[in-house]
Amino acid sequence: MSSGALPIAVRALERRYGRVVALDGVDLDVAQGEFLTLLGASGSGKTTLLMILAGFTRPDSGSVKFGGVEMIRTPPHKRNLGVVFQSYALFPHMDVAANVAFPLVLRGVASAERERRVRSALEQVQLGELGSRRVDQLSGGQRQRVALARAIVFEPGILLMDEPLSALDKKLREQMQIELRHLHQRLGTTVIYVTHDQREALTLSDRIAVIDGGRILQIDTPQRLYEAPASHFVADFIGDSTFLPVSVRNGVARWREQVLQTARPAADGEYQLVLRPEKVSLGAAPAANLLNAVVEEVVYQGDSVRIDVRLAGGAVVTLRELARAARIAAMPAVGSPVRLALDPADTVLVPAP
Amino acid sequence: MSEVATGLNAAGIRADARRERNALAGLTSPTFLVLGLLLFLPVGWLFWLSVFDDTGLTLENYRRMVVEPAYISIFRTTFELSVLVTALSVVLGYPVAYMIAFLPPRAASICLTLVLVPFWTALLVRTYAWLVILQRRGVVNSVLMDWGVIDEPLQLVHNFTGTTIGMLHIMIPFLVLPLYANMRAIDRDYVRAAASLGASPTATFWRVYLPLSVPGLAAGTVMVFVICLGFYITPQFLGGGRVTTISMKIQQNIATYFDWGAASSLGVVLFVVTLAVFWGFSRLFPLRRLTEVGGP
Amino acid sequence: MGMISTFRAAILLSVAATLPAAAQTTITFASYGGAYQAAQRKALLDPIEKMLNITIKEDTLGGVADVRAQVKANAVKWDIADLGGASCARGSAEGLFEPLDYSVIKTDGIDKAMATKDWIGVIYYSTVIAWNTQKYGQNGPQTWADFWDTKKFPGTRSLSRGASETFEIALMADGVPMDKLYPLDADRALKSLARIKNNVVSWWASGAQSAQLLKDGEADIVAIWNGRAGAVIKDGAKAAITYNQGIFNIDCLVIPKGSKNAALAQKAIALMVSPDLQANIPALIDYGPINAKAFDTGKITPEAATKINSAPVNAAKQTNMNFDFWRDNLTKLTERMDAFLQQ
Repeated sequence: MSSGALPIAVRALERRYGRVVALDGVDLDVAQGEFLTLLGASGSGKTTLLMILAGFTRPDSGSVKFGGVEMIRTPPHKRNLGVVFQSYALFPHMDVAANVAFPLVLRGVASAERERRVRSALEQVQLGELGSRRVDQLSGGQRQRVALARAIVFEPGILLMDEPLSALDKKLREQMQIELRHLHQRLGTTVIYVTHDQREALTLSDRIAVIDGGRILQIDTPQRLYEAPASHFVADFIGDSTFLPVSVRNGVARWREQVLQTARPAADGEYQLVLRPEKVSLGAAPAANLLNAVVEEVVYQGDSVRIDVRLAGGAVVTLRELARAARIAAMPAVGSPVRLALDPADTVLVPAP
Repeated sequence: MSEVATGLNAAGIRADARRERNALAGLTSPTFLVLGLLLFLPVGWLFWLSVFDDTGLTLENYRRMVVEPAYISIFRTTFELSVLVTALSVVLGYPVAYMIAFLPPRAASICLTLVLVPFWTALLVRTYAWLVILQRRGVVNSVLMDWGVIDEPLQLVHNFTGTTIGMLHIMIPFLVLPLYANMRAIDRDYVRAAASLGASPTATFWRVYLPLSVPGLAAGTVMVFVICLGFYITPQFLGGGRVTTISMKIQQNIATYFDWGAASSLGVVLFVVTLAVFWGFSRLFPLRRLTEVGGP
Repeated sequence: MGMISTFRAAILLSVAATLPAAAQTTITFASYGGAYQAAQRKALLDPIEKMLNITIKEDTLGGVADVRAQVKANAVKWDIADLGGASCARGSAEGLFEPLDYSVIKTDGIDKAMATKDWIGVIYYSTVIAWNTQKYGQNGPQTWADFWDTKKFPGTRSLSRGASETFEIALMADGVPMDKLYPLDADRALKSLARIKNNVVSWWASGAQSAQLLKDGEADIVAIWNGRAGAVIKDGAKAAITYNQGIFNIDCLVIPKGSKNAALAQKAIALMVSPDLQANIPALIDYGPINAKAFDTGKITPEAATKINSAPVNAAKQTNMNFDFWRDNLTKLTERMDAFLQQ
């Protein structure tokens, strides 16, 4: 549908609110047709960045280029962006079709052509039948789809989405994530997507930019971000991680005197070992790092069993075993000593904070 | 006909529900009682006075309104004045409400206080203040004559113009307050969404913001118009005898007819007209839309 | 503790204080309130309480409709009511008042027209010509014809928007002699008013408004009640008045029909209109005594008398309003005046 997808280039973007730094010199490149997610906690600056891209907020300084054209002083209605809001912002005084037709009316699209494109956009989001409905007669998921249809109907080169799924319940949210992926694949539009939900980010994105304190800490593919976090913050923010302090001396990594095999050599210094529930297991495994521990708690959670174990030195590590009958039968009792196995390939070290 | 449940504890549960309903009724009944006493009794009494005199049932008080030319022109004056003041209140009040709605909360509350300042002074004092400002040797004429803009003082008061200005000053807050409350509740995202979809600020205002502010505008407009219909002091003092409103005629009829009947009939007509205005507005802007303000 | 016992003592004292009063006879006097009623209290009521050894309670009223309501409901609370002249004429025609007993009430010094079978005047006020002395000096308009003469006295005018007084004025301006006014020729009056209409800056609705117009120089010549003009001049405004062609209006006293203390009320009214108490009035408020003999009591100096509207020297220049005419024609002429104002 869209051959006009545009790349985005952000340079040295700064924005302060009084003494609070919302954006602290952000540089960002988004490729044509890429799906990039801005992931961060509330107050991290991700929404400010999106608002500046959309033109709703003025930065103090910096540059924003769409397809190589400077946009920083262009008012929002001339930026030709599709924006999907957390609140959907569907106009309550218009029916569904009028909402979707709104950007076409403003662009002077003739009525026959307009109708065709509105119908097509509504079909894209699987709402072909609902054009004459009033907005307040729609469910949350339907509103979400109308908002999406309205944002894509005028074929903008860039689509900005601000936590668009956060108001939906879990099941609907997951379904919409898949649909958004498919929609993006069909349209090929460049998408910048803001969320605080890491799983949503991992599911949807080509790349994820983790933002904190107004700066982009790491920008990478979902897999690299998860498997090779560059910092303690990123490792902590994504996934349920437990950290163990590790020292590397002469190329040898040690946790409390115990030597650890690592996948990659690390320079001498202080590190944190990232332990994730799915990366560790109970029982001996060949060539694995083995850590002695005592079972603290076993919690049955349906699809899996969560086991908390305490290592020497007091750190508690959570691990997760798939809930198969054989494994459930073999669950260790609370208080029993166990050995925690960590494959050297899963051994991730991040610099100590 | 719903079947009465007979299951475990059904009677007790029903009793609980009934007790809750009764408590609610008990809490609201004083309000209904007061409303009934303060509203319906006087209105009924007014109506009674207007159709009964010593001789029994009479429509004389109503016949007079149709026959005497003064009444027709009084009704016309009252409506012209109310429509004009309402329209000007919208023109002047809307931008004020709009500006305040976009201010940060602290500045907004300061501005709202300023809008309400006129209420701190007695109506009569404000009305005399306008006299001082607008009369032949008043502030406005003095300044204009000093500057050589005019040679002869302008007739700004003791007429329709002065009455309109005085009433406008009193009525603008009544438009601004409900409008502001409405605008405050309009999600900023609507404006952003419109802009992102390609609407210029002007288009955003006319196509999105204005329609969303219609409930507050309607509420304010009805309020202003209905209050205007009942104005007495301002036209009395600023109209110079050239502006007679229904309320002034009511007062005059008490004095000249030595009787309440002639005044009551005008009161009844004013009451009916006011109800009709409310009804008309509620048809144009259903109450559901007046109470529901934009936002999912 | 101490406060409570003080409070108790106060209650006991006040109860004790009311006991002898309760033994006394009490009558109730209703008037228009404000400065007027306060003056009546000092000039008339206080002395009468002493002279008759009675208590006079006070109430306020809004007009003859209030009296009618009490009489019709057989619930008369008031023994004496103070009403405007036209209201008295109206109530008299409706039979709302007890007849006055002129064997008790002496009318020496009172104009016969102001003492009828069931109402009697209590004060005079006059509608007079007032002018801005800054504009015309001391030689302002002396007649209503002058008031109408915009060549001789260029400037703005103000008249009452009520029909009564204004119709009389319009006719005098048109050349009708003071003693030939009634019955008023309404057509001629309205024609006369039409000639001055464009020079009338404001048709005033209240005494306060007429005073403001004169004081601020908004109107250069005003038809105004003498009391209001007096207050404005006392306030330092550059204005003067003439009693020439002034119109006397009155407030009058009645006994509502069914008053339980009618006999005592007759006695009280007799004192209220007596020269001695009447002479108390001018010092307290800008109204003139209804009883000309008040000027013979020695309480009013000849110098002060020249300023008082009902002093013989001023009274001679003025004419009485005819209340019976207005009783019968007020509504009709008011509607015509309204229609005229809105043309």
